[in-house]
Amino acid sequence: MLKLTLRTVNANKIRLALTTFAVVLGVSFVVSSLVLGDGLRSSFGSLSEEIVGGTDLVIEPSSEFGTPQPLEENLETTVEGIDGVANAVGFVENDNIQPVTADGTPLTTFGPPLIGMSWVDDPALSSFTIVEGRAPASGYEFALDQDAARDNGFEVGSTYGIVTPNGEVDMELVGISRFGESNSTLGAILSQYPMETAQELFNRTGQYDSILVSYESGADPTAVQAAVSSVLPAQTEAIDQAQLLDNAKADFNEGINIFNNILLGFAGVALFVSIFIIANTFAIVLGQRTKELALLRAIGASPKQVRRSTMTEAFIVGVVASGLGILGGLGLNYGLRAMFDALGASLPDSPLILAPRTLIVAVVVGVGVTMVSALGPARKAAKVAPIAAMQDSVDAPKASDLRRNLTGAAVMAAGVLLGAFGLFGQIEGSGARIAILGSGSVLTFVGLAFASPAVAAPVISALGLPVRVLGTAGSLSTQNAGRNPRRTASTAASLMVGLALVTTALVVGESIKQSISETLASEVKADYISAPEVPINPMLLEDLEASGHFDAIAPYRYDQIRIGDDVDGVIGTDLEATDDLFDLGLAAGALTAGSDVVAIHEDEATEHGYVVGDSIPVTFPSGTTESMTVSAIFTSSTIMDESYLINMSDWDSRFGEVVNWWAAVSVADGTSIDVADATLAELAQRYPQAPFENQTDFRETIQGQIDSLLVAINAMLVLAIIIALVGIANTLALSVFERTREIGLLRAVGMSRRQTRRMIRWEAAQVALFGSILGIGLGLIFGWGVVTALPESFVSTLAFPVSRIAILVVVCGLAGLLAAAFPARRASKLDVLDAISHA
Amino acid sequence: MSLLTIETTETPSAPAPASPVAASARNAVKTYRTGNSEVRALDGVTVDFTAGAFTAIMGPSGSGKSTLMHCVAGLDQLTSGSVAVGGVELSDLSEKQLTRLRRDEVGFVFQAFNLIPTLTVEENITLPTALANAKPDVAWLDTVIAAVGLGDRLKHRPDELSGGQRQRVAVARALASQPKVIFADEPTGNLDSRTGAEILNFMRRAVDEMGQTIVMVTHDPIAAAYADRAVFLADGRIVDELHAPTADSVINHMIAMGD
Repeated sequence: MLKLTLRTVNANKIRLALTTFAVVLGVSFVVSSLVLGDGLRSSFGSLSEEIVGGTDLVIEPSSEFGTPQPLEENLETTVEGIDGVANAVGFVENDNIQPVTADGTPLTTFGPPLIGMSWVDDPALSSFTIVEGRAPASGYEFALDQDAARDNGFEVGSTYGIVTPNGEVDMELVGISRFGESNSTLGAILSQYPMETAQELFNRTGQYDSILVSYESGADPTAVQAAVSSVLPAQTEAIDQAQLLDNAKADFNEGINIFNNILLGFAGVALFVSIFIIANTFAIVLGQRTKELALLRAIGASPKQVRRSTMTEAFIVGVVASGLGILGGLGLNYGLRAMFDALGASLPDSPLILAPRTLIVAVVVGVGVTMVSALGPARKAAKVAPIAAMQDSVDAPKASDLRRNLTGAAVMAAGVLLGAFGLFGQIEGSGARIAILGSGSVLTFVGLAFASPAVAAPVISALGLPVRVLGTAGSLSTQNAGRNPRRTASTAASLMVGLALVTTALVVGESIKQSISETLASEVKADYISAPEVPINPMLLEDLEASGHFDAIAPYRYDQIRIGDDVDGVIGTDLEATDDLFDLGLAAGALTAGSDVVAIHEDEATEHGYVVGDSIPVTFPSGTTESMTVSAIFTSSTIMDESYLINMSDWDSRFGEVVNWWAAVSVADGTSIDVADATLAELAQRYPQAPFENQTDFRETIQGQIDSLLVAINAMLVLAIIIALVGIANTLALSVFERTREIGLLRAVGMSRRQTRRMIRWEAAQVALFGSILGIGLGLIFGWGVVTALPESFVSTLAFPVSRIAILVVVCGLAGLLAAAFPARRASKLDVLDAISHA
Repeated sequence: MSLLTIETTETPSAPAPASPVAASARNAVKTYRTGNSEVRALDGVTVDFTAGAFTAIMGPSGSGKSTLMHCVAGLDQLTSGSVAVGGVELSDLSEKQLTRLRRDEVGFVFQAFNLIPTLTVEENITLPTALANAKPDVAWLDTVIAAVGLGDRLKHRPDELSGGQRQRVAVARALASQPKVIFADEPTGNLDSRTGAEILNFMRRAVDEMGQTIVMVTHDPIAAAYADRAVFLADGRIVDELHAPTADSVINHMIAMGD
């Protein structure tokens, strides 16, 4: 029996190739996700080691929540005096320091930070080596990492501008530095400054962000660490080398895992879609081999042997597909990188790591998916009666059967219920929620795939009405698409899954965009908003004020506070200006200037029973607790996305970090919009990283960001759609083979090649349209569910991107035509005589 | 615009034959290559099929009778020699023109699988007309359908018909486009003798009453007896022919050839 299976596989290489293609794509995606993840983990791992370098201990400020206050300078001397400590060096850094090129362009990156830092003179504690010139020693001079210097034409001895939180200053480049062994900065731009200069420019005068400590050789690490810890003030901690490494790696890994899981999610979708196609292919192929199977049964093969033979065939297909998928995955690894490059989010270079785990996962997934798909067809094959060998035709597909439809409907109902629970239920943890939502949608898809043959025939004949205009070829195509509803339905099912997901993403995206527009229209009074990816330079705000053309100027900064036992987010701003810039829906009180006042969101106020005028004890990250007066209660949570608002004047003394993430301004009375635009345009020259946009531009920018996210999501889902189209091509090729005689007869009685091609192509288009209609219908419902479940502050309206969906339908129909190109060509090239005499 | 008119302008055209010829072959040679050996399926066949007549092509398996029919009907190409339908030389035609010839000038009845399963009886009969995007000649269609006697089954699908009924539909389809010639390849091969006789009678009437031309390949002497003329093939050559054949005379001929 095995020999027969092997012969069957061998005799049908093309069919095998078509079947495996879907699995290969799915496995490729799994493999490339894992390979990419492993590579990134490895390069970030070695990066962590280079960051930590020879440092034995790091002293850092700490707090139970929020951003802690920096360390005081004098701690350095205290620590240096401890027995066993070889050296203790203070360190300051800032993530947004932009050297400016000779032609006046501040350096930028897509994502990685531009880190400015104090130069550490002790080689044991520094990760940097000077490769040209000298280390920055005093005054306004700096060193730049070798790649940034080379790529942007920086030369030792020349003077360049440096954009810092305190404005742009001119400095001489005195040295070129290298990070670690090979300057693998992963795209970050690293510049070094003399300590006092760094402290001044980074707002750290008399303070350090951390103190790096090295031990004398032979010192007992545990004892030294204990001694250091004993002299540390409150809200300070000492972290040893091992812990530092773990922390660094854990930080990186968290990000990589999220990224990796998203990729694996898409791979899962691709594999899920493949299941429909493989099952379909096996069902058709076994259907065509009914006589052969019946003959086997007639000469004594047991149903079990027939089933096992089919499953063995599936196993072989799975193994081959997994092997190809591993190769494809290695290739796709580069494809993914290219895609992220194209989207403007370059991934750092990383080694190509093919871990044994990846191989095992690939084979298990590839073989598993194929064999699961073959289960149904194999069971059916085993049921072929020996008598079928003697009968002429067994091709009498049932339109639909009640049991199947009811099962499908029940599964679908279960899926919808599970999905609804996932969206609206009280579930702990996002992982559990995603798992429930995922299984809910899988069940819905499977249920619909089962039940959809019931609607396939009427929908196809409705779709066929316009096609009839195309004459006999057109109406034959409709009849062919409708003749085996089960096959049409399962071919369309794969497309349905892909389109349902794309549509869901589109509906959610459109609703978010619509919500933003509405919020901007109803709650934003500000004339201009700046929300750059980097913090806003305080100098920019001062210059705005100085221009005299703007009357309400409010920056927004974020941190955390604790009230009683609850840690909550807090926003620091100018409350009075905010009142002019936004309509926060005040329920009571007023947004006023003054110290020790706090505005609270209505929900929070109701929960704790606060009313305007109450005094509440607020604990800051520094550990101090102060009494603040409730001055206002607001209801909107769209713009102010934290529950507590305080004045900037209360901020600086209580939080360790002053970073303005965004800002809003209004034009002063008497200043024309043209003057305001010109002023902002001029400021944009000096502060190019934080442009102010008017409401229209700002809305378009944000909507553009949502659109790019949608493009990224949909680009991934396109994989599922490609697999689905391959499935259509595959099914159609098999159908053409099955109908060889019929096509031969049509050709004999005068159907032209062109009419033949048209007949096959329109059949594909109708199947594709059927799949898209189901998928889009489901996607609209899914999208509605997601939008309803998302918090009101995030999405407030449901919007359907009608034109995009219409385009999607048309594209799918056209893609169906394209998918039919090969089978149609094959059908039209059939030799008429051979075809007529085809057994 | 018929294909005939286009082609006659291009073909330097043979002199018009004395009695009208619907289809003909001149020195038709067809060779197949199988491995190293060459098989001559047709070895210099010259034959005329008279218009308005019922001709049977007979011969043992492998004699080349089906090949001859396929070549004359434009389903297969000759190695050398020429074939013509309605005076049009087939070897000069493109694939597209051949398709139009099959659609407009030729009718087919095969041994089995003559009908498209998804189409109704009526749709099957009018299929060539529909493929030509033309309107059927309703009066003629009614005549054909009445003659076939399937008026009450027009909306049925082929799988609801018996084998004999299906072949009748096939003959009706061949007649519907009023072709120059109908080629029938063992049309009764899959039928029992009584149903077979029905089909043959029907074809006979099509020739006598509707003036059709039929060329039928068969190895059955009883079927051949319905024809006006029987042409005998052996080893790719025409070896003999009989006018007004009877079952007995055909059998005697075959026995003689066997010797």
